[in-house]
Amino acid sequence: MSDRPAVVRWLATPRFVLIAIIVVLVAVLTAVKPSFLNGAFVLAPLITSITVFTVVGLAQMMVLSIGHMNIAVGQMAAFGAMASGISFDLFALPLAAGLLLGLVAGAAIGALTGWIIARTGVNSFIVTLAMSFALLGLVPTVYSALSTGSAFVVKPEGFDLLGRSSFSSVCLAGWCGPAAIPLMVVPVLVVMALVGLLYQRTRWGRELLLTGSNVTAAELSGIPTARRIVMAHTLSGTLAALAGILLATSIGSFTPSIGDEFMLQSFVGPILGGTLLAGGYVSVVGTFLGITLTLVIRKGLELFGVGIETLNVLLGVILLVALSADRVREIRLRRGRAPGSAPGRPSGSTPDRTPDAEEVPA
Amino acid sequence: MTVPALEARTISKSFPGVKALDAVSLTMLPGSVHALLGENGAGKSTLIKALTGVHRPDGGCILLPGADGRPAEVQLTDPAAARDAGIGVVHQERNVIRGFTVAENIVLGRMPRRAGRIDWARARDEAAACLAQLEVDLDPSTPIAELSSAQMQLVEIARALFTETRVLLLDEPTASISAAESDRLFRVVDRLRDEGASILFVSHKLEEVYAHCDTVTVLRDGRSVLESQPLSAHSHDEIVDTMVGRALGSLTVPDRPAPRSSAPALELTAVTTTAGHHGVSLSVRPGEIVGLYGLVGAGRTELARAIVGLERITAGELRVEGVPTRIRSVRQALHRHGIGYVTENRKEEGVFLEQSITRNVAVTVWPELQRGPGLISARRERELVARFVDELDIRISSQNQLAGRLSGGNQQKVSLAKWLAASPRILIIDEPTIGIDLRTKRSFYELIWRLADEGMAILLISSDLAEMITLADRIAVMDRFAIAGERTNSHEYDSMSQEIIRLIHSHAGSHAEAGAVGTEEGIDVAG
Repeated sequence: MSDRPAVVRWLATPRFVLIAIIVVLVAVLTAVKPSFLNGAFVLAPLITSITVFTVVGLAQMMVLSIGHMNIAVGQMAAFGAMASGISFDLFALPLAAGLLLGLVAGAAIGALTGWIIARTGVNSFIVTLAMSFALLGLVPTVYSALSTGSAFVVKPEGFDLLGRSSFSSVCLAGWCGPAAIPLMVVPVLVVMALVGLLYQRTRWGRELLLTGSNVTAAELSGIPTARRIVMAHTLSGTLAALAGILLATSIGSFTPSIGDEFMLQSFVGPILGGTLLAGGYVSVVGTFLGITLTLVIRKGLELFGVGIETLNVLLGVILLVALSADRVREIRLRRGRAPGSAPGRPSGSTPDRTPDAEEVPA
Repeated sequence: MTVPALEARTISKSFPGVKALDAVSLTMLPGSVHALLGENGAGKSTLIKALTGVHRPDGGCILLPGADGRPAEVQLTDPAAARDAGIGVVHQERNVIRGFTVAENIVLGRMPRRAGRIDWARARDEAAACLAQLEVDLDPSTPIAELSSAQMQLVEIARALFTETRVLLLDEPTASISAAESDRLFRVVDRLRDEGASILFVSHKLEEVYAHCDTVTVLRDGRSVLESQPLSAHSHDEIVDTMVGRALGSLTVPDRPAPRSSAPALELTAVTTTAGHHGVSLSVRPGEIVGLYGLVGAGRTELARAIVGLERITAGELRVEGVPTRIRSVRQALHRHGIGYVTENRKEEGVFLEQSITRNVAVTVWPELQRGPGLISARRERELVARFVDELDIRISSQNQLAGRLSGGNQQKVSLAKWLAASPRILIIDEPTIGIDLRTKRSFYELIWRLADEGMAILLISSDLAEMITLADRIAVMDRFAIAGERTNSHEYDSMSQEIIRLIHSHAGSHAEAGAVGTEEGIDVAG
């Protein structure tokens, strides 16, 4: 593994494959439909949705890292957004306070989910499915009770700046940024960096991965696994809420339908990007690239006037391919190969005799 | 001349980067038990997998008696083909389906059918007949999950024999079962041999090999260095030297200094636990190795789990360095009380197979490696891991290598390194050398002595009596969740083993199987 140059190793990862496909796709789209490069009308909405869905993907990645799932990712987003909407609409809180309240609401619902899972030992799929149903009923009920027309529309100062402005409004000495890149990109890049740092360099992130790898061994190595499970779900709920709020700022109002499209996408991104469903391995950049690929395909088909049904079929196929890839990678890991090493190639210099789990005498 | 039950000629098999088998030949005769010996990585399991259709050999051929009674070459394309050819196998790891019953596991893949549906009554009867033939007393309708590992193994043998089997391959069948259970296994093996079956037997325990095998093949680095020779023509030492490839000097027990202080580092007084222990008293002083011996299921691992907080202590007292303590988790045991627990089951509990060496070793010290806002210094982490890789002589290609790619012995070292990195004052080691070859075993023994010399208090759990008598300063014997007695170790195998067996006996009273213990405990260490 380590004796091959870093560049070569990187070329063999799913991330490189994703970048290659995305580049080819964008080139083809641009050649066939030059309007694809239209900053304000095509690229800006595309990048906005990539930004929002990257956060959705990261929310799912958090629980995937411990080998869990969050089926309620969309409803947690709706719940967090609802809390923000209420704080602006009913309490007239300033932007920062409302955002914070929404994130706290997401964290709380995530923490509750995690606590139930850790406490009862019930499969995360079941618990988050139940949570998803509960919120699916709760959120619209609150909206219809507290708002007129089932939406919170009061916008605090700075709201549109976050959700609907691009770098074209950032000017320095008469020189303005590109209109294609929304300002929302900035906080999301920060979030990506923080999540990356969490898994790479902090004890908590690594303990999440080891919990996902083998929960018994983790407990027996002194990792507080119950606390890590609660932590993963709390962070997942927080990020889901963030995604919900970002989506609300980009469409301009808080509605109960926020998060409806999150669940499937949340799995596609991480899995295409190399995160293991079984836990123990994540990739932040991969998640971003996986999301980007599916949304570029989507936007491309839209430009050709292909309907939403076809898009969904395609999304299903992509998910199937991604899941098969996940399974193949998992098997290879079990056999002791690093994720992302090229197929059929022995990775590293040690003789690969793992089929027998025997020792090569020195 | 008798026609061989199975003949392998110049079998070769390569995996990416390594030649696992290099022109290995082997002749198995009917009515014979053939020992297949070699250190870990010599190619024993690969050969068995090549003979049972799991691996396709790259070269060579396999001959079985044909319809005319003369040897004929066969192609074993998959495990089903090997089974149809009359080759049965019991692999090293248990291969039973846990949700199923004993009968279902035995008839698996060859269920008797009637009118297109499975005839369960007949399946149960046939399974029962098969078990009876092996003189195994098991109810066919018992769920597999209720059986011990040794019983599951017998079920697997029954499954192997369910069809007409002329050749039975047993890969390390005695590695993880008790002496009494091995005894029962050997009765089955001897019987099958007398009925004309040909058995291939893989083991690291030379005593049992000499007691039950007649022919021997020794593999080293994928070659057969001794091929189908009569076992009686070779002495114990000769065989060991052939396996290792050089003369392995005899292991001498070092002159161990007396424990530094008389105050115990770990002390249990009349402890009762939720696992079922009653009145257990035990103490370990700094610099002392205390062995906890007992039959499988005597409650030794459960006691270790109780000490580190995985079972609750309901009565009695646990003192750590003199202070009465209540421990609630492994985390507390380690970070608050300096107790490390090297688990028995390395693949399931000891190492993270899909994670790097660095993470596997450093996991216990991350809290200490944090700097400033909680970031771990990658450089300090690598240095620390490198130190222990070096100290324990763990063979790795890089720290990024995944633990799952290491051999069993090296995985065990990683599991130990994890605890040593946290520099505990008390270390509980559970079955450190199961499935580990002679050379690695020795380096483990020397390491354990060194740790004790440095002042660590060590509680050693082992089912291997020879290992116990080699390593421990004192031996406590556990039987049915209570301490049966304690003896200072004289390191004299014959007298010590008798004394310990007598302890179990006198405590057990009516415990019927205990009598078998003394006879089959093989001495694993040469010399």
